[in-house]
Amino acid sequence: MYLSTIYPYRHYMVSILLIALITIVSQTFLTKLGLINIALIHLIPVLVIALQGNMGSTMIVSAGSVVMFDLLYVPPKYSFDVHDFTYIWSFIIFFAVGYTISSQAKRIQTNAIKEIFLNALSHDLKTPLSSILGNASLLLKEQMDDATTRREILIQINDSGQRMNRLVANLLESARLQNTQSALRQEWCDFEDIVGVALQEFRYHPKQPQIEISIDPQLSLFWGDCALLVRLIVNLFDNALKYTEEGKAIRLTITEMEKKIKILCFNESQPIKKADLKNMFDRFYRLEHTADVIGSGIGLSICRDIASAHGGEIEAYNVQNGVCFEIIFPVAKSPSNGLKELL
Amino acid sequence: MKMQELILIIEDDQAISRMVSLTLHQHDYKTLIASDIKSALRLLNQNSPDAIILDLGLPDGDGKGLIKTIRTEITIPIIIVSARHEEKEVIASLDAGADDYLIKPFSIDELLARVRSAQRRFLGLQPNVNVILCHELTLDIEHHLAFKKEEPLKLTPTEFNLLKYFILHRNQVLPYARILKEIWGVGYQSEMQYLRTYINTLRKKIETDTARPAYIHTEMGIGYRFTCDSVNIN
Repeated sequence: MYLSTIYPYRHYMVSILLIALITIVSQTFLTKLGLINIALIHLIPVLVIALQGNMGSTMIVSAGSVVMFDLLYVPPKYSFDVHDFTYIWSFIIFFAVGYTISSQAKRIQTNAIKEIFLNALSHDLKTPLSSILGNASLLLKEQMDDATTRREILIQINDSGQRMNRLVANLLESARLQNTQSALRQEWCDFEDIVGVALQEFRYHPKQPQIEISIDPQLSLFWGDCALLVRLIVNLFDNALKYTEEGKAIRLTITEMEKKIKILCFNESQPIKKADLKNMFDRFYRLEHTADVIGSGIGLSICRDIASAHGGEIEAYNVQNGVCFEIIFPVAKSPSNGLKELL
Repeated sequence: MKMQELILIIEDDQAISRMVSLTLHQHDYKTLIASDIKSALRLLNQNSPDAIILDLGLPDGDGKGLIKTIRTEITIPIIIVSARHEEKEVIASLDAGADDYLIKPFSIDELLARVRSAQRRFLGLQPNVNVILCHELTLDIEHHLAFKKEEPLKLTPTEFNLLKYFILHRNQVLPYARILKEIWGVGYQSEMQYLRTYINTLRKKIETDTARPAYIHTEMGIGYRFTCDSVNIN
């Protein structure tokens, strides 16, 4: 639970640890290393942190390194001296190195995101798009006298359109998730509300009535980003509907435990291989034998992103007769109890 | 013969305006199309449409300004069309005087339903009513009672007020802040926690399947809509 509060400051934690570590090393081998080598060793934390692409922590760790170096190794030891001001230059150089690496790291990160988006567009938009175009040209060219066939074609066009719509929504939310902490639009969310909106997206899906919902009637409101939570449930349903045969069970259960909310999505299906259970939350990972199921590899990875943006965790495991997706959200903020009204 | 009603479509995307126009023609409406605010104002000067469908993303200016201008001169239903991620704009437009909204991509059924219900609201303003029937629900305003399939519902005063407000404003989108202000009063507009809690308990009392609600529909990020297709007023 504490992890989620510490998480934004993880770079600072790592820098403190690194500085502590190199201080131990430098102090132990002080005589063997000499001042220049020790100065170079103090560049290591700057490099490590700069690779994360975070300017603030890079600056802090540069200053920390220089101060520690100055304090512990530059005579007079354990004090700052007047000509220590020359070490302002060390700091500038340390920070210049850090800055260069940091901005490069950032550029690489953005390029990686761009690549993911391009992949998503080419791979997952093309499938429904070709279905729409193919079916539409069929209707344009052929003299379609049979009303049932025509209707079937139209249903396919509609399905593919819906699929593209979901994908675009996923891509938009995923872009928003890239800067998690700042972009979360938190408010009080009612999971019943959220599940209702998610189900609404599948109102014309033939297998939709198979979805069984059970929500703890005492479930309290959850402080989160409602729109993202809707996406999470939509993607879970989407996934379950894809891999569950007609007439088989899909069950969503939401319960509240001590300071936690647990979402469990079960669907009747063949067990999933152990390696797949872990990897299926990676972007664009698709199970090998499922090439025939139209869909995107982005849905479950967004589920994971949404869960972790709320400090939660997602995992998948096999159970008897099927597969379970389990999401645990820590309850960071409880609604106040001042609005009970008597009958 | 019934008079054909005229609808003004303000939309800069031709593919969409043509589709909307075609659909409305098939359902016996006449249409006018404007692709920007300037031509919309010109068309409004020369014609008197019965409803307006307005896209918020127009090339030559802000849709909200246009809504305000229209509102000062004529009282006809305005339905706005917006992209998915513009909830704030939608709420601001509803506050500026728009009557309802549609999110792109929308289905034709939704569009027609919105036009019809907005027009119904404009035609007959709420007469003095005492009992309203809506599907299985009965609301007796005079005696402060509510029933589901003739079974009396145990509602707290706030729940009753909420249900009454919903039924009196059925089939229209009600932004969160507006509901909070109406039921809890000025100063409570941002107390989402109250609203979510009361919607939850009210649903448990009136809905048959709370995850697939028949009455209270959530419009994520915007508000709630109370659906009531077959209504009976006594």
